[in-house]
Order: sequence, then C-alpha cells, then structure tokens
Amino acid sequence: MNHIKKLMFLSLSLLLFSCEDIIEVSVDQKQVKLVVDAFVNNLDTTQTIRLTRSIPYFQKSGTEPTVTDATVIIADTSNLKVFPFTHTQDGIYTWTPNKSTGDTFVVGRSYALFIIQGGDTLISITKLNPTVNAIDSIITVPTEGNGPPIAGPGKYIELHANDLPGKGNFYWIKTFRNDTFYGATRNLNISQDMGNTSNGQDGELFIYPIRFNALNEFFRPFRDGEKVRIEIHSISLESFYWFNLIVNESNNGGLFSTPPVNIQTNIFSFNPNKKIGIAGLFSMSAVRYKELIIKE
Amino acid sequence: MFKNAFVFALVSSFFSFAYGQKFTLSGYVKDSASGESINGAIITALNTAESTTTNSYGFFSLTVKSKKQEFRVSASGYEATTETIDLSNNVDIVFSLLSTIETFEEINIRAKLNDNIKKIDISTQSITGKVIKKIPAFLGEADVIKSIQLLPGVTTVGEGASGFNVRGGSIDQNLVLMDEAPVFNSAHLFGFFSIFNPDAVKDVQLVKGGIPANYGGRLSSVLDVTTKDGNQKQPSLNGGVGTIFSRLTLEAPIKKNRSSFLISGRRSYIDVLAKPFLPDNLSDSRFYFYDLTAKVNYSYKRDKFFISTYIGDDVFFAANAFGVKWGNTTVSARWNHVFNKKLFSNLTYYYSRYRYNLEFSNNDDLSFNWTSYIENNSVKADFKYYLNPKNEISTGFQSTYYVFKPGNAVATNPSGTNNFSLPHKYALENAAYISHDANANGKFSVRTGLRVSQFLYLGKSTVYTYNDAPSPGQRRFMDSSWQVGDNEVISNYVNLEPRLGFKYQINKTSAIKGGYNRMVQNLHLISNTSASVPFDVWSPSTNNIKPELADQYTIGYFRNLTIKKQDFEASVETYYKDLMNQVDYVDGANLLLNEQLEGELISGIGRAYGLELYFKKNTGNLTGWISYTLSKSERRVYGINDDNWYPNRFDRLHNLYIVAQYKLNEKWDFAANFVFSSGTPTTFYTGQYTVQGYSIPDAGTNDRNNVRNPDYHRLDLAATYTKKKAGKWETNWVFSVYNAYNRRNPFSIYFQTNYENKGQNEAIQFSVIGSIVPAISYNFKWN
Repeated sequence: MNHIKKLMFLSLSLLLFSCEDIIEVSVDQKQVKLVVDAFVNNLDTTQTIRLTRSIPYFQKSGTEPTVTDATVIIADTSNLKVFPFTHTQDGIYTWTPNKSTGDTFVVGRSYALFIIQGGDTLISITKLNPTVNAIDSIITVPTEGNGPPIAGPGKYIELHANDLPGKGNFYWIKTFRNDTFYGATRNLNISQDMGNTSNGQDGELFIYPIRFNALNEFFRPFRDGEKVRIEIHSISLESFYWFNLIVNESNNGGLFSTPPVNIQTNIFSFNPNKKIGIAGLFSMSAVRYKELIIKE
Repeated sequence: MFKNAFVFALVSSFFSFAYGQKFTLSGYVKDSASGESINGAIITALNTAESTTTNSYGFFSLTVKSKKQEFRVSASGYEATTETIDLSNNVDIVFSLLSTIETFEEINIRAKLNDNIKKIDISTQSITGKVIKKIPAFLGEADVIKSIQLLPGVTTVGEGASGFNVRGGSIDQNLVLMDEAPVFNSAHLFGFFSIFNPDAVKDVQLVKGGIPANYGGRLSSVLDVTTKDGNQKQPSLNGGVGTIFSRLTLEAPIKKNRSSFLISGRRSYIDVLAKPFLPDNLSDSRFYFYDLTAKVNYSYKRDKFFISTYIGDDVFFAANAFGVKWGNTTVSARWNHVFNKKLFSNLTYYYSRYRYNLEFSNNDDLSFNWTSYIENNSVKADFKYYLNPKNEISTGFQSTYYVFKPGNAVATNPSGTNNFSLPHKYALENAAYISHDANANGKFSVRTGLRVSQFLYLGKSTVYTYNDAPSPGQRRFMDSSWQVGDNEVISNYVNLEPRLGFKYQINKTSAIKGGYNRMVQNLHLISNTSASVPFDVWSPSTNNIKPELADQYTIGYFRNLTIKKQDFEASVETYYKDLMNQVDYVDGANLLLNEQLEGELISGIGRAYGLELYFKKNTGNLTGWISYTLSKSERRVYGINDDNWYPNRFDRLHNLYIVAQYKLNEKWDFAANFVFSSGTPTTFYTGQYTVQGYSIPDAGTNDRNNVRNPDYHRLDLAATYTKKKAGKWETNWVFSVYNAYNRRNPFSIYFQTNYENKGQNEAIQFSVIGSIVPAISYNFKWN
C-alpha cells in the first residue's frame, strides 16, 4: 500500500505546485526509554541482546548510550531451564548455544526474557515458531527492463521457497549482499503466510513482491562474483505487526499520512507503578538460509 | 381513491382551518430569462402577511381568504415583484423574476428581502451558480466545494484534500446530493476541484444544523446541489477555455416553456500540455479528468419529469507503470405531480455508483489489478401538503439497496496468479419521515419532524465475530465465522431521528432561530489518512460496526441591517454536537483488501462545538461576506491518547474567511478572498532508537495531536474583463492569482530518516501549493 501512496504522491507532485522543505523543528525528548534489541534465533551461532537508551530525534543515530549493568536471562518456560546472557561490550550481552549439552532453543516452545536493571525487572514471553521447511533455491534473473522495482538492465535475484502449510505463519526475510544486511526500513521484507494480506492463498511460493521486488528494489543489479545470502526467520504475529508499524512510520508523510504512533513493545515492567519507558522487542526465530555466488 | 384518503387523513388532523371562503394560489416561480425554476422564493399575501416558500422544484401553494389582493414574490438574487391577483377561484400562476446580476443598475433600488429572517431554516446557506462563478478560484476554475469552504462552520484539512468538514464532522458525514442522488466522492484530482460543473449548477444549499426530516443518512450536513433544468426560452451555449480544463454547456428548449435539456462537459488537458516534457517511456501517459452532466425535463399540465445524469472520471495512467481511475456515475429520474393545488409530490428513482480501479504492470507477465465500488439503487417518494399558510406537512419514504465491492484484486506474475478478492456486501436501508411546519413564515414558527430509519445488513456473506481486544484500542482477532445465504438478515438497526426547528421573529429585521437534530449514519468511509484517498472503501454498518449517531443543538440570532441604503445580513450561531460510535482505527491498521477489516476498527465518541459569525453585504457595487468560526472538534477513544479527549486532525480553532466582489463598471469586475485558519493538530516524534539496524522514531508519550502545524492563510485575487455584448455573443476574460503573496502553507510536517545523509533524521514541511499560481481563462456565452 505504501507503494500506491508513493505513486499517487508522485503523480500529484508532477502535476501541481507542491513542495517539501526541510525545516528546523525544536523538539524536547519527552522520555528516555530503555531500548531492548532482543532478536534471538535457533542457529548454532552466538546470540546477542543489546540494551541502549533512546536519544533525541535529531541526534545522529549510533550515538545511543549503552546499558552495561543489567542481568539478562532467557528461560525455557517448559522446563525452566535458564540461559544467561553476559555483557561483553557496548551494551551487548551474549550467549552461545551448545548442542552437546542440549543448550539450544527448540521450535514450538515458549521462552521468557528477564532483564533486571536499575532496580526494575522486565519480562517478556514469546514463542519460537517454525519457519519454512526449506529454501529451494535462489535464482538469478537477467533483466533487460528499467523502472521499479528494477534499476536498469542486469542480474537480479528471486527467492524460491514455500510458505508452511496452514494459515498464521509469519516471516522476516533478511537479505545480505556480500555479508552486508539490507538494513534500511524501506527494504524490510515481512510476510504473512505466502503474501502480505490475510486473505491470500497459502502454502505455496511467496508472492512476487516478496520473493522478487523486496530483494531488488532500491539496489543496483548484482555483479558476477557477489555473494547473496537469504535468511527466512519465523516471527510471531506480534513481531509481524511491530515490523509493519516500523515500515509505516518510516514513510508516513504528506497528504495520505496516518496518525503517527508509538510503536509498542512486548516487554513489560513487573512494577506497573514505576513508569519507566521501554522500547524494542523480544523475538525468537527459527531460521533457514541459503547462499549463492552470482556467476557469469 | 388513495389521494382522497390521504387528504382526508391530513384534514382530520388539522380541522381548525375549515371556515370562510378560501382559495389557493399555486404555481411556480421562474427566472424570466431562462425559465429556470427558483428554489426558496417567498410569496407573500400583502394584506394578511401570510406567506410561503417555493420548494426545490420552484413550486408553491398559498391558501388565503381575501379575494383580491397584492402578492409579493421575492428571491435572493432577483428583483422582487408585486402582482395583484383576483382570487375568486383557485389560481394557477407562474411568476417570472428578473435576475439582479444582469441588471446591475437597479440593484440599489430593489426592495429589501429579509428572506433569511422570515424563513424557519437555521444553519442553512445557499449559493447560486452565478455567485460561485465570481469567487476567485484555484487555476481560475470556479468551484462548488471550494466556494462552500468559505462559509462559516466549514473547514478542510488542507489544500488538495478531498471533501470538507462541517461543524467538526468528518468528510464522510456530509450527504452530498446531486439532483437527489448521493455522490460518494465529490473530488477531482484528489481534492483540487470538485466534480460539479459550475456551468450546470443552478444552486447549492448547505444545511449544517436543524436538518429537516426529509434528509437522513449522514451525521453532519447536507449539501444539496441542483443542476439547471436547461433554458426553456431559447438555445444558449456557454463555455470556457481555462488553464487546466475546458468547458462547454449547451441548453435549449425542446418545446418552448414545456421541455428543455442541458448538456455540459469538462475535460482537463494537463496530459496534452505535459506530453512534450515527458520522457519517451512515459509519453503515452494519460493524466486527465472529465465530467459530463446532462438533464432533460418535460412538463405536461400538472406533471413534470426530469431525467439527469452525471458521469465523471479521473484517469492517471503512466505508461508501463501504473494506472488509476476513479469516478462517480449517477442517474436520477424524477416525477413531480401536483395532485390538487395543495398537494405536491415528487417520486424519484436514482442509481449512484462510485468505483475505482488501480493497476500496476511493468511488462507483460507482471500485473496487479484492483477494482472496488459502492453502488446503490433507490426509490423515494416525497409529499408536501400545503394545508393552509399556517400548516405545511411533508412526508415521504425511501428505500435503498446497496452493493459494496470492497475489492477485487488479482496479481499476475510469471508463475501464475494470486487472487486477493473480497466478497461483496449487501444492505437495504429504509426510511420514512413526517415533518410539520407550523406558521412557517409567521412570527413564531415551529418545525417538528420525525424520521425512522432501518438498516439491514444482508447476505450473502461470511459473518465474523471477534474476540475482545487484549486491551482497549488493540486489534481484535477473529473468534468465529459462518456463511449466510442470499438476502438473509445479518443485522438490523432501527433508529428514531427526531428533528426540531423554531423561529421567533422579533421584528421585521431580526429573528432568533434554533434547531435540534438527531442523525444516523450507516455508511462509513474507512480511512485513517489525513486526506482521504480515492481508494478508501465504504463499509455498511454490520454486526461489528454500529450505526454512527449524532445529536446537534444549535441556536442563532439573525439580523438584517440597512446602512447608507445598503443591505446587510448578519448572524451569530452557536452549536454543540455529540457524536457516538465514531469509527477509529488500531495503530498500523490494515484497511485495504482485508477480509477481517472489522478487527482493525475501534469505536469512540466525539464532540464538537463552536460559534459562527457571518456578515454579508448583499447590495451595491461591493458585495461579499466575512465569516468567522471559532470551533473545536474532539474525539475520545479508549486506547488512544491515554483514553483522554484529543483534537481531530481537521480541528481548527479560528477560521476567518473574507469574500469580496467589486463591480467597477460594465467592463471590469474584481474579486478577492482571504482565508485564515489555525493550524491543524499533529503529533511530533521527539526521540529515536535503533533495533536490528532499523532506526525507529518515538514520540515519548502516547499523546495524539498535541502539536499544531503553522497557521494557514492565503489571499486570492481575480479580475474579470467582460466584453460588450456583440450580437448574441458575450465573452469575458478572467485573470486570477491564487496564493497571491506566495505563502508556503504547510499541509503537514513529517519526520523521516534521510538515507543519503547517513541516516540523519529530518523534519519536512510539506506544502501542497508552494507557490503563487496565476491563471487565465476565457469564457463565452451565446444566447
């Protein structure tokens, strides 16, 4: 839908006299929030959780203060097994799974996150949902055309993977080019079942905007020898709407804007009277991935 | 037989009149030049001071006792005339009035009207097509909606936004009628122009309060647009060539004084002008809009027939990229019948449809096609019984069948097609009303009315129920669903809508008027954007969406003045409105192509109140008005703004509109508008944070609309040069400047991350019109 709005907007500016000016606005940051970046997955690699604090809107990002004195724990709610995350540096807390001791996250189970910091205890519970059964392939698509989503002739990529059968599966599809993640919000690629609406078909190939457009839009074509990596993360319904809001808020201006909203977190304080602000998300994913080297 | 029974029923309820020898003067009031009927003309028996008002078809009926007496006929924009009529029998008559705009020399000597003091209608404003054409307009194109946006109590969220807000109501709360048929989107080019072609418009009436019982279905106002019948006397052609579009209207008698037609069209030619400047791959692009209005009428003895139609579309088609098309179609057929001198009836059938289509395609094997519409067929009967000058009764009923197609969407790609289509929805709306005007044009008048409306949400459909939200304001998820068959009733809402109006005439030049209305709305425009998008979907009331209700109380003081032989009209009105079951949306609501849309909706209450001052100069070389509105429009929804009241997106505290027109001489006319409106409320982000590499804005608190955009103000100027009439040709040039002092009025301020500048956040002020906009148009008239 954002594309539709954008195009309408474009056609409108083409015809008329609209203009956009970057202006100075002085805003006082109303509340500094504790920001929890807790995206954990079931891969064998070291898992990280990062704690920072929010900064004024016009301050350069990357300058967020870090929170280094917290106790961070994930617990398996089925057997109360505890996985402690320890602080390494810059507010980053890590834990490494160990298959031999059975210290891994299991698909289908619910996990609780506890953070103890500054005399307050925060909690969040989420479920580790299954992801797609397999990624069949990443294929290269040589294209001659021009115009969105394609930026000139060259090689583009397409993801071939099927949505899990049954409704109510949500995915976050992460694409890396030469190990660099497509990090801008405009490239955020999420899917509800095989498409981005609730009434699409189910269990088949992801729809075209998800398996093609989102992987290529805003980018130059791939060059020979470049490496592509695609990860499909299962996410919860809650996380899906959280991502949706990020997409919406990152591009929400002009005639057809919706009221700006605060993106709500799924992490809560045990002490409801102590109104500390919390932002961020606790999300657990099962991951499948595939890599491809672009060849001639 | 039916007729007699009906009359008997009415007579027995008002038996007090049956004494003395009385006769009825009835007929029509018409424009002397074109034969167009005049709505709202007052006919007064000078001896007894009894009077009546013509209805929207120009018909009147006045029953008086004395035999021979003088009758005065007056209407706004016309010379008043007085005629002596011998009423020793019932008399049928057609009064012809001379338009004052054509006879500018005589304006100063015409009789004072005081129509606004006499009439019971409160919060009602009329503008004729002729006045609309004189108001300076964007790109020189006179516009109906833009003109009513200069009236007290009317605001807009901003330039280029479609629709208008009346007394703190949202844009879907206005019943916009064109020859009795409702129009669901009154905007061309998003909102820069309205779909009504001013050349085809006879008059426009906006009712903001004390809404009579014959109107229903929307909460906040009625905008009743009546098109011209077509010149009854002689053929006439008029048109214009403007900066953005060209117009042509032909009207002519088919049979003199009995039958005539009008056909009127407009088309924009931005695409034609832009073509040389477009790159090759876009040169096949089409960007235009058009509309066509046609009407034909026929009178035979006591019957009049009208058939009118409107077709209009906006088309945006960028070659090999996307295409958008939206537009309205209406057809209405009406039959006026005068049963006897006192009973007037009108039977209407109409069809109205709003539909849009959207398609994307970048080559042969990739496309997305989406269509949606709302369509309705309606039958409506209205009766007006002129019992005696002290008692007039209106009654009628209406039945409307709606079909909603929320979205038919198909995506095609190399490996097949995906269908996202939603099923149709159906509804039947029935209404009946009765309204009584006691002593309508007398010293103390009361109008009481009652409307009963019923709304049936019908199958065939899938019905959903939803779980309670985990906390207020949050999305609700489906609990159960089942199928219902054709025409099976899913939900049935019956509402009583009492209406009241009163007038106390203090003296010849001043009156106090008041009104109350309860309104019910069963069609909801599902839209959470600041300006409505043409792709917003209308939804019926369902088992999950309750009918919207509004109670409005209004009172006002009206005063006419004469200062230095010039006539002025002044009024002060205040209103308070309570709104219930207002539709609102969860954060990040997914409103398009969502079968479980109802789960994304939340419900709240609203309130709006304000004070409206209006000062109008009717006569002299300088005419125009000053309108000032002090208003507040708020909403309260659990789960939004920490459950507290917050201002609506279109809330504007101060609104000052000045409209002035000056006739220098026979050649030159000048006009100016000045608009000042307080800034609309908005929400600013104050903080930010990063999660998973995504930069996320944060407002800190949950306050909504707690900051104001800068104020809006604008001056428009126009000069009209009229060439001396040469034979049958009359031509003029209109030179106009919109936004004369080149202000960049902000529509909104929004915040975004600039990726080109290493993720630095910035605030962007968006102005829809960012410059001065000059325009020239050429108009001609032949008759």
